[in-house]
Amino acid sequence: MALGIIENLIQRLTSLPGIGRKTAQRLAFYILAMPDGEAKSIAEAINDVKDKARFCSVCFNITESDTCSICSDMERDRKKICVVEEPSNILVIERTGFKGIYHVLLGALSPIDRITPEKLKIEELLSRIRTDSAEEVIIATNPNTKGEMTAQYLKEALAPLGITVSRIAYGLPMGSDIEFADEVTLKKSFEGRRNI
Amino acid sequence: MLRRTEGIVLKTFPLGEADLIVSFLTPDHGLISAFAKSPRKTKSRFGSSLEPFTYSNISFWGKEDSKLPRLTQADIIEPFQELREDIATFTAASEAALFTLRLLAEGEANKKAFYLLRGVLRMMLRPSDRSFVIVLYKIRLLDIAGYSPSLKGCARCGKTGYGFYTPDGSIICDSCIGGAATRGLRGATPHHIRLSPGCVKLYESLRTWDMEKVFRIKPSLGMMKELQSLLGAHVEYLHPEKR
Ligand SMILES: [Zn+2]
Ligand SMILES: [Zn+2]
Repeated sequence: MALGIIENLIQRLTSLPGIGRKTAQRLAFYILAMPDGEAKSIAEAINDVKDKARFCSVCFNITESDTCSICSDMERDRKKICVVEEPSNILVIERTGFKGIYHVLLGALSPIDRITPEKLKIEELLSRIRTDSAEEVIIATNPNTKGEMTAQYLKEALAPLGITVSRIAYGLPMGSDIEFADEVTLKKSFEGRRNI
Repeated sequence: MLRRTEGIVLKTFPLGEADLIVSFLTPDHGLISAFAKSPRKTKSRFGSSLEPFTYSNISFWGKEDSKLPRLTQADIIEPFQELREDIATFTAASEAALFTLRLLAEGEANKKAFYLLRGVLRMMLRPSDRSFVIVLYKIRLLDIAGYSPSLKGCARCGKTGYGFYTPDGSIICDSCIGGAATRGLRGATPHHIRLSPGCVKLYESLRTWDMEKVFRIKPSLGMMKELQSLLGAHVEYLHPEKR
């Protein structure tokens, strides 16, 4: 074996985002010093995710059964569907206390990357709305160009279904200072202003 | 070394949690890709300056031959926000960006290409025929990059002809095409395209006329189709699209 086992672990860890050589080294030696069971449960958790994780057949969230825990929770408000780009977005929105259900597009429109509407889970969203009791679709795609183009496309695609469509507000990030906002961000927050 | 120039964002590629690789077209360094730290975080100082087609004063840091210099600043000169407001305009501008990335090499200064792209993006802000603007852009950029198809006459014997042969990037007359078709080939499938005399003339006008006057030309739909298939086949042979 060309690389020692520790070196091998370091190399593997550096393939993770945000982990450089130094951090990987620290993590590797930390793992080495950990109690057996604890270290192995990390390995098992990784295995589990890779073996069992799949997309929810309803909303395309990550799940280990056919439908995810949110879709199968009867307490959730099925009248509101929040549309997001990636499954990881759900975790963040859950923290806001949103009690509706979700739909994950698995991406955003981007002509330069050849990501066209057919490559996203848009048709699935439309057929879901046609058959269930949704009353409002909240589009929570990213506030950037790809997310914005996707929102526009959805707005047009949803129009014939006679359902309320809303878009999360744009604005200045909390804790920031108007002085440092660029003109596009500032313009968007003027457009998205509301009465108080 | 810290370098300063102007740049137009052509494409961004997410890296890790919140970082971005940004491809710019610049007048002084041609196409460059730079690494931007955390622009996707809401409090990033890059704000909206790395959205597609944004035109900014940029600074980046890295050795002269660095493959991925680090972007340190981007101050918006023209946001080109209207290009990102509806799908049709955005798609057209994306096509121009994609063509630029396909045709130009990284790191080669090309002022003309930069000002051409900037001009074309400005044209797209005005009500204009987008497919005409795109065709015009492709013809002009091919010219600037030195890849214009040769339409003046047969590449072999100089006689007039109207058959365009992609491996030669040129017109080849009917009597010379017999031998040409058996030549060694690379990559893409060669094409022999029959052009109308009107199309050849139109191509030359679009390539050479003043940008102010060129909008007086109003090509028919059929003529546009002919130009588009000539450009498509020529470029596909020159630079087969990476997938
Ligand atoms: Zn689900
Ligand atoms: Zn000839």
